[in-house]
Amino acid sequence: MTTESKKWLRFRLATLLLCFLVLFIALITRAFQIQVLNGQSLKVRADRQHTTTLRSESERGIVFDRNGEKLAASIMADSVCADPSKVVNLEETARKIASILDLDQGTILKKFSGSKNFCWIARKITPDQAALVEKVDLDGIFLIKEPKRFYPNGELAGHLIGFVGLDAKGLEGLELKYDDYLKGAPEKLTWTRDAKGKRLYPRVEYAGGQPKESTNLILTIDNRIQHLVESQLKEAVKAKGAKGGLAVVMDPKTGEILALANELGFDPNTFSKSGAAKGKNKVITDCFDPGSTFKPFLAAGALEEGVVKETDRFYCENGKYAIADRVIHEAQRKRHGYLAFSDIIKYSSNIGSVKVSERLGKEKFYQYITKFGFGAKTGIDLPGETAGLLRPVQNWTRVDAATIAFGQGISVTAIQLITALSAIANQGVLMKPYIVRGLVDKKGQIVKKYAPTPVRQVISPRTAKRLTAIMTSVVGDADGTGKNARIVNVNVAGKTGTSQKFDFARRAYSSERVRTSFMGFFPAEDPQVAILVILDEPQRDKWGGVASAPVFKNIAEQILTCFKTNIRENPVFEEEKINRDMKIKLVSAVPVITRHKAAPGDMEEASMPDFRGMTIRDALRKAREKGIELNVSGNGWAVSQVPAPGVAIAELRYCTVSFSTGN
Amino acid sequence: MKFDRRLFVNFDWTLLFLVLAVSLIGLINIYSSGVNQAYSGQDFLYMKQVQWIIVGLVFMIMAFSIDYRLISRYAYLIYAFSILLLVVVFFYGYATRGSQRWILVGGFTFQPSELVKLTLILVLARYFDDHRIHKAYRLRELFIPVLIMLVPFLLILKQPDLGTALVLFIIFCSVTLFIGVQWKSLTWAALTGLLLIPMGWYFLKDYQKERIMTFFNPDSDPLGAGYHVIQSIIAIGSGGFVGKGFLKGTQTQLRFLPERHTDFIFSVFAEEWGFLGGIFLLVMFMALILWGLKIALHSRDFNGTLISVGITALIFWEVFINIGMVLGMLPVVGIPLPFLSYGGSSMVILMISIGLLMNISMRRFILQP
Repeated sequence: MTTESKKWLRFRLATLLLCFLVLFIALITRAFQIQVLNGQSLKVRADRQHTTTLRSESERGIVFDRNGEKLAASIMADSVCADPSKVVNLEETARKIASILDLDQGTILKKFSGSKNFCWIARKITPDQAALVEKVDLDGIFLIKEPKRFYPNGELAGHLIGFVGLDAKGLEGLELKYDDYLKGAPEKLTWTRDAKGKRLYPRVEYAGGQPKESTNLILTIDNRIQHLVESQLKEAVKAKGAKGGLAVVMDPKTGEILALANELGFDPNTFSKSGAAKGKNKVITDCFDPGSTFKPFLAAGALEEGVVKETDRFYCENGKYAIADRVIHEAQRKRHGYLAFSDIIKYSSNIGSVKVSERLGKEKFYQYITKFGFGAKTGIDLPGETAGLLRPVQNWTRVDAATIAFGQGISVTAIQLITALSAIANQGVLMKPYIVRGLVDKKGQIVKKYAPTPVRQVISPRTAKRLTAIMTSVVGDADGTGKNARIVNVNVAGKTGTSQKFDFARRAYSSERVRTSFMGFFPAEDPQVAILVILDEPQRDKWGGVASAPVFKNIAEQILTCFKTNIRENPVFEEEKINRDMKIKLVSAVPVITRHKAAPGDMEEASMPDFRGMTIRDALRKAREKGIELNVSGNGWAVSQVPAPGVAIAELRYCTVSFSTGN
Repeated sequence: MKFDRRLFVNFDWTLLFLVLAVSLIGLINIYSSGVNQAYSGQDFLYMKQVQWIIVGLVFMIMAFSIDYRLISRYAYLIYAFSILLLVVVFFYGYATRGSQRWILVGGFTFQPSELVKLTLILVLARYFDDHRIHKAYRLRELFIPVLIMLVPFLLILKQPDLGTALVLFIIFCSVTLFIGVQWKSLTWAALTGLLLIPMGWYFLKDYQKERIMTFFNPDSDPLGAGYHVIQSIIAIGSGGFVGKGFLKGTQTQLRFLPERHTDFIFSVFAEEWGFLGGIFLLVMFMALILWGLKIALHSRDFNGTLISVGITALIFWEVFINIGMVLGMLPVVGIPLPFLSYGGSSMVILMISIGLLMNISMRRFILQP
């Protein structure tokens, strides 16, 4: 070859190589764009393709009373879902399922067409329905276990506990207030699937890092007291033909609510049927004129300020006292002449009270009203509390100042009333009312505890004692208005009240429609229990002393029989004693659901192994090792099991495992 | 045939190493593409590929043992034989998935269109060597070479196998442009080509039109025609910079990626080995191509140069079109990735081509008339 042609060849080859190189660089640029610049987003896209996830609720925390009695728990309920791609005959399947679940065939068909591989058909069906669904065994239809809220005691403390919605979210009461604690992180079931969407092997993951376990609530409520209060209240409402009633039992020294009842009752199990409005906890949401039960707070202010002594005599105008354009009467049109200060309370004299308030002065009176906590929320840990209605003192007319002295023209809630009463019982210290003693995790370890919270010293202990003595005479003296609340051998301090309801139609206080109330505490020497009973519009015995005082008496007597006045027998939060404490043991004895991600060491012999994700063969082998009898349903990979993994298995060693091939 | 010691001394070990390395990468990759996470099983395609590599190596030895000038002497005959095979395919061919590309030979299927790629190179090299004019060619002088290309081109287009037909055309263009075409002739040819494109569109099958349409807008039908490319891009992109690791390519293992072991084998590789792995593979191919051009430069005669250029161009274009296709830069036309895609015919023909390159390389110092 000549040199010239060699040169020519070199040039041509170099040109060719250059073309090739340029094109290769184009490829590399493109690869860089896809893999490095768009790599992350394409990775997300890939993950979305080959995994499917299903969120399933984790079990909600349990609500216990102070003795470890379950007030709200979760049971596993079946939910029906479908894999439309596996349903052989859509019409036929929809028809069969519709007849079992009492649903509309069209809706089911719509659900089928709405999703390719997964759709819910019905959530949390009854066991009977689940059994039927299982029995017909349709292709592409399967059952998933989901936790369902259950209130073992039905109506008991229903208003207090509230309820949860279908998606396990607290909607009312404690379920709402403590939703963040009660709900755990939803369990996330992730499946890897292939292009056909068929082969999958479930692996359970949790949404985000450490799973947040749900916590159990321990209430201040005593199941037994709650029960007797509810039954007494119910009986009284029925006997007196009342529209409704409220009752609260409080430990005056701590502010713990021992029982809280609303009548008519409310069963959170069936909240969807009875209507959520009935679930309103009137103790904290409704305000009313307190009537004569308000007089002790006036007396407290007057005593504390030293403007009166027990023996000071007030002229009660023989039952008629005109202030501005209004004439004040005594209740039941009684006529009193001169009354000692203590007798004004004992006989519940309206005119006497007005005189006392005049001597105290409206500014001072207002100051004591607010110090007792009226006109502001108590801060109880329940949702929906209202503050009542207390007009600022600048706006008080002379009539206002007079009527407020006997509890008219001011609105309070039942919880405010009993909290204020408790301050008198508690040597003048106002306590913040509360209902949750603490939170414990699944293992019974205390997560958080709530201690009694003093709010302020309202009156001096000496004044409190003097006032208690006066209030004891209300019940203890034969001529006291509260004599029907008297209990043998126990000194009860109390005050009756009858407030006329304001008739908005006539713009006047009605004498027909009244609220009768009685509040009191005992033993007067060292108060342990404070009780407030209110009956709404009783048709018979329209006076606090005759309508409500006996209810108080019945409740108090039964409490005394049960607890011998010492109701604080369960010192729940003494850390060192925690394990020996019977009641806390009860709490932790609940079947503890250890999640299967727990270390293998946690899975002792005595707990149910986790079959989920296993093939039938593996599951059977595992079951044989553990000596468990396995009921197999379906085929493919295990998707659910009863009992749940981690549940202690005592004598009954059997387990039902559902398998599925599809998602 | 007389054995010359120099043949052994000058044997092109580098080329052998490069080819074996790339084939090994291919083998590992086919193994991975066969693993299925869902079944936790493995198909044995990679074992078959081992067989094909061995068969290919045997043919390679045959291809470098016989002096390429002797082979070139029978270039027209070999060409005629390969055309005959295409005709046989046309009448008696074995069809899968709507196209008739294979002939059955003793239980094996053979794809003559793969062979034609090589014989076209041989016959073009022979023709241009015989009719060498030391200046740029005019259109009239290219009439016979065009005819030589057009016969197998049309036969393959009819199968239908657009990709292979295009490769024939591109090889022809590469070789012709390499030796030089007059600018005027080139312009005329280009203009005629542009005019023929709408006509060509008319002759395309529906699925071919669809593929080209989806190339311009792959998301128009993500579960249909665009599925291949979209899945390929997802697989490659999700591999990221360093890849997901061997046997960990989810898109491959879970069967989202179609045609994993054949046309889309690069996606499998790029998903598991990432951008770095892809670069490495491309560098290997570039080395191979550089080596092929070096052989062309040092070839003792013009015939050898043309054969080398043709073979190098063949390998380059197949690599470029295949990877461009899986990266979504080019329309999806079924072209395998040399040495990586599973397939007997392709592997054997490529090994023979490499054998021919070795042939030319090792005989570059033997001065004989």
